[in-house]
Amino acid sequence: MPPRADLVPGTLDLLILKAVSLGPLHGYGVLLRIEQISGGTLLVEQGALYPALFRLEHRGLLASEWGVSDNNRRAKFYRLTPAGRRQLKEETNGWNRSAAAIAAALDARSEEI
Amino acid sequence: MWARVRSWLGAVLRRDRLETDLSDELEFHLQLRTDHWVRQGLTRQEAARRARLEFGGIDKHTEACRESLGLRLLDEFRGDVRYAVRQLRRTPTFAFVAIATLALAIGANAAIFSLVNAVLLKRLPVASPQELRQIAWVSNDSAGSLWRGVWYNGNATETTPRAATSFSYRVCDRIRRQSASFSSVLCLGHVEQVNIGAGGRAVLGQGQLVPGNFFGGLGVTAAVGRTIDAGDDAPGRPPVAVLGYGFWERVFGTDRSVIGKTIAVNGATVTVVGVAAPGFFGIRPGTETDVFLPLVPMQPLVYDEPGMLESARHWGWLVLARLKPGVSDEQARGETEALLRAEVRDHPPDATVTDLPRIRLDEAGRGSDQLRGRLGQPLRVLMLIVAGVLLIACANIAGLVLTRMSARHRETATRLAIGASRGRLARQVATECMVLAVIGGSIGIGLALGIRRALPPLLSEGSEILHLDLSADWVVIAFSTIVCLVAGLACGLLPALRVPQTGLAPIIARPASSITSASPRSLVGRTLVVVQVSVSIVLLVGAGLFVKTLLNLRSEALGFTPDHLLVFEMNGTLNGLKDTRLKDLYERTLNEVARLPGVKSASLSRWGLLSGNATSDALLVPGLQAPIHVDVHLVLPGYFKTMGIPVLVGRDISWSDREQATPVIIVNQLLARQIGGASSVGRTVQLGDVHAQIVGIVGDARFAELRAPARVTVYVPFRQHGEHVATFVLRTAGDPANLIPIVEKTLSRSQPDVPISNLRTQDAQIDTAVRQERLFANLVSGFAVLAALLACLGIYGTLASSVSRRTPEIGLRVALGADRLSVTWLILRESIAPVCIGMAVGLLLAFWSTQLIASMLFGLMPRDAATFVAAASLLLASAFVAAWVPARRAARLDPMKVLRCE
Repeated sequence: MPPRADLVPGTLDLLILKAVSLGPLHGYGVLLRIEQISGGTLLVEQGALYPALFRLEHRGLLASEWGVSDNNRRAKFYRLTPAGRRQLKEETNGWNRSAAAIAAALDARSEEI
Repeated sequence: MWARVRSWLGAVLRRDRLETDLSDELEFHLQLRTDHWVRQGLTRQEAARRARLEFGGIDKHTEACRESLGLRLLDEFRGDVRYAVRQLRRTPTFAFVAIATLALAIGANAAIFSLVNAVLLKRLPVASPQELRQIAWVSNDSAGSLWRGVWYNGNATETTPRAATSFSYRVCDRIRRQSASFSSVLCLGHVEQVNIGAGGRAVLGQGQLVPGNFFGGLGVTAAVGRTIDAGDDAPGRPPVAVLGYGFWERVFGTDRSVIGKTIAVNGATVTVVGVAAPGFFGIRPGTETDVFLPLVPMQPLVYDEPGMLESARHWGWLVLARLKPGVSDEQARGETEALLRAEVRDHPPDATVTDLPRIRLDEAGRGSDQLRGRLGQPLRVLMLIVAGVLLIACANIAGLVLTRMSARHRETATRLAIGASRGRLARQVATECMVLAVIGGSIGIGLALGIRRALPPLLSEGSEILHLDLSADWVVIAFSTIVCLVAGLACGLLPALRVPQTGLAPIIARPASSITSASPRSLVGRTLVVVQVSVSIVLLVGAGLFVKTLLNLRSEALGFTPDHLLVFEMNGTLNGLKDTRLKDLYERTLNEVARLPGVKSASLSRWGLLSGNATSDALLVPGLQAPIHVDVHLVLPGYFKTMGIPVLVGRDISWSDREQATPVIIVNQLLARQIGGASSVGRTVQLGDVHAQIVGIVGDARFAELRAPARVTVYVPFRQHGEHVATFVLRTAGDPANLIPIVEKTLSRSQPDVPISNLRTQDAQIDTAVRQERLFANLVSGFAVLAALLACLGIYGTLASSVSRRTPEIGLRVALGADRLSVTWLILRESIAPVCIGMAVGLLLAFWSTQLIASMLFGLMPRDAATFVAAASLLLASAFVAAWVPARRAARLDPMKVLRCE
């Protein structure tokens, strides 16, 4: 099992948007997808996932409808709305910029100053 | 943003569905997770437990989901409302008092505001009312010599600059034809009384002469049939009429077949072509126009005077105009002024015109009238009064809520201790007040809507029927709702701020009552007392001033004896009668009523005394340079005897002073004093253009109105003057009111087509003349007493709760030897500061605010010292009683009992 990492605060929404952007998912599916795409390194507190989903839907970034799951149970599926797609793109760019900046800052050596 | 609103509304409206879905969704998650752990080899039971543990607190997360949807505030609000209702039901007396107080205060505000809205705010129901202007002229000429002999509707007593809104038809026509600033110009007659015969009976109604472009220019349509158009408004056209919607409803019961039928207007046959749209009552607020008549063909029917349209001297037409978009008022004003001056130069109304008047454009989107000027002040004062009442009511309820809170302080402390936030508790207190305000406000607004029809008569003057459009529009609803919410906030704010900061331990640890002196909580209570006392003082002073005004008016020496008099009016000119036939009709009627049993004497005059009407003219006396402006009163013989006006010198008018006889006049004492006293009898003077001999001097009597002192007056024989309306007066042996049905029956039998109007006793007429003063005296007294009672209740409440808080201290003091007097004083002392500060603030406020009602008072100054002293003493006495009761209770405490409780 790879080493686990806690979520950087504020990144849960971004990860949910990313997970759902790959195809409509129910809540549990989102949890599994995040574990899968992070190679099992990112831990999401299960209960906290749902308020985040509701919040994103409330903001119009996700849309939901009730359907039937693989094992024939009634389940609520989330998909990305156009607004959600835009938001994901913006937040991804923002994240990459700041990650690159932080990485560059941490790479600095004394002779470069 | 929109997505959030939609999502929130969806959640609120389909709450049950949301809750099931939410639990289904979480349940689904737990099942999948359980399956996962079963696959990993755990037993199903163990797997389910594991899944739950991983998930965390389900309730916490569910609540977080709801919060994500913005539902938490709503849920808490619902909880607070439920809690508040429960609390109120547990204390029904408090709930009843608070709700009744608020219902009264908010209802009064809503009712008065609906009047303010109807009189001052509402616009006419016409297209683009903001473009409408009324054209008026202003002249600096003070003597009136410039326009001497020209009839216009300016106020004769008004000093410079004189303003009037009436023009000659020629001027109006010129503006209409030549002006480039207005898209339409309407020349209108005044709203006049007309005799309308419909369905076999004659009724008096309000008629207005309107031009062919009236309905089109205003953008008013017909409810049935058609409106008057340009084709109707030309010489020689068949006479037509458009009925007012209200008149159509009252007289024809909304019968559509009335179109094409004929009615009689002042004796002439007129075809009804349409009914105006409902809600359009004409252009004069306060009046409902019953019939609209085309001006050019119908003018001779309303004004029996030939050549009025061509005359340069008859300035009796109103001019309304609609500004073209993009044209400024100043531009239009300048252009109209040039047109007026050109017309007056071409056709001077008077040979001596020296100064040409200026033009003024008045905003007319709310109609053309002086009603706003007359009612504006009383309405503003009423609005202030009811606002004061609301303030007192809120202060009172805030005080009551505070007292309740101190009774509940242990509950509050416990709730703080188990984790409720202070803001949450404050919100709860505020919600409780809001619930009170909403319940009380709904009742109050309902009451206001219920009684609004009864309001206009209270403001009408004399015999006028004040017709106000009181239909509740969104302005009234919005205002009432805001008042309601503001009242809720005002009641709840102070108590909410008084929710204890911290210190749970001290409150809980402390026994129910311990030895304390004044606490910050009672400081708030005392502030509320200051507010209540000061507003009460203002209202008491106002009440005193209005009551004194009413008393002053009723005790004025009138110069005649008003009791045992019956009066009524008749206007035979509306039946087309003139000259001898008209006066014969009046004499016939007079003989008829004079013969009725119980009538001691009877006579008639043109205007009734104190009816608000007067005619004036210039009197030239030989030897005097300047003419004297006198009131002219036309009377039949026996008038002075009937009215109880003494004939001092000379003789009364006699039946032989008729058309062909030598013109004679009688002067009153005031005038006689100016022209040579008793020796003036026998002199010949010139009244207008008639030379007449003075044959008598009579006592002074108030003529036009109650408020003005008697003026110089000339009495002229009725038969020696043109045709007029007549006001009959009957002096009766018994109660004149008993004769009312008899007079009505007799005259409707003998003159069925000449309606009589305003049949009532002279006392009743004086009563209506002081109706507004009476209204203010009653209303303000009522509110002032209520306010003073509430203030006393406030004082009592604050002291009573202080006594119960200080009980142990008092017990200790008594045990240590304090006597009853000093204990009484100890408690009384607490109320001195708030009452004194309240009185000082109140007296200052009253000193300033009574200036606002100066014009509504009669016979006293707005800063009448006696009234101020009386109001202050009254309040001081009541405050002392209110404070004495709890203080006495404190003095009677048994120290042993008190200390044993500790």
